[in-house]
Amino acid sequence: MVKKISFLILSVIILVIGIIAFSKLSYWDRSVRIFNYSLGTPLEGRPGRGPGDREFEAGEGRPDQGIRERNIPDSLRQQFRPRGGDRLGSGHLYGEMRNGEGRRGSEFAQGKKINIRNVKWFLAVFAAFTVIVIYTDKAIFLMRKRKGRQTAIKEIM
Amino acid sequence: MNIFKFFLSLTITIAMLLLMDPRSFYGLAFHEWAGLTIGIFFILHKILNWGWIKKVSVGFFRRCPGRARFNYVLDVLLLAGITLMILSGIAIARTIDFSWLNLGGSRIFWRVMHTSSSFITLALFGIHLGLHWNWVLQILHIKKTNGKKN
Repeated sequence: MVKKISFLILSVIILVIGIIAFSKLSYWDRSVRIFNYSLGTPLEGRPGRGPGDREFEAGEGRPDQGIRERNIPDSLRQQFRPRGGDRLGSGHLYGEMRNGEGRRGSEFAQGKKINIRNVKWFLAVFAAFTVIVIYTDKAIFLMRKRKGRQTAIKEIM
Repeated sequence: MNIFKFFLSLTITIAMLLLMDPRSFYGLAFHEWAGLTIGIFFILHKILNWGWIKKVSVGFFRRCPGRARFNYVLDVLLLAGITLMILSGIAIARTIDFSWLNLGGSRIFWRVMHTSSSFITLALFGIHLGLHWNWVLQILHIKKTNGKKN
């Protein structure tokens, strides 16, 4: 019994942290963007822009100004900061970006160390989904078991 | 074999979590190479479970438990998610040159696809693990195969 209660408490903690991480990462907005995207939609002012879409090519639009005010992790927020006003490179520069050379390659130079600060939030969401499914699965199993028992009793009577 | 499957799944999960943030683990080069490797691991995972896939594929519309059907649909969605994730990753890759593939589409289009598909796939990974939790407990010898806990 003590084991079950401690697992339940642990599950609740995982769920709470998962919910916090879910809102912190704007998980829903960033997940459903795939369904809202249309090729004809202009990029400026398009809602739901998140940290994953920080890179812009020439002629593809510019980063949403409102993104800096959003609740996103600090290291992801850094990705939005304009660097010397040259965020919007010209199209021909794309060739220089390959193999980590050129301006774009240096963007990830600071990622040469291990930083799992953001990963823990993703882990929290992942664990929350797992916990929800484990308990839902158990609940369905118990309901089916109870239903089966009731049917068996009815058949006997 | 089950132990190998377990460690393969564990590796895929850890790699997937590390890949969620391109900056978290040795930068973009790691992100791109590990992204491709995870695809190979995923295919290996499918090959190892080919017997189950074949069995459920044949009996999907006939005699097949609801749980197996649900697992199958989830697996198809996972496959679609991983495929889209890798394809969009290839389209926006910087350290590995995939320009010869000529995938077309704007960079921002592929970026949206990459972010969204990875977020959805991670959630599906969580659901998949939840549905196979009893198997994980059995592998870790926390739960006996007959369903009774130690």
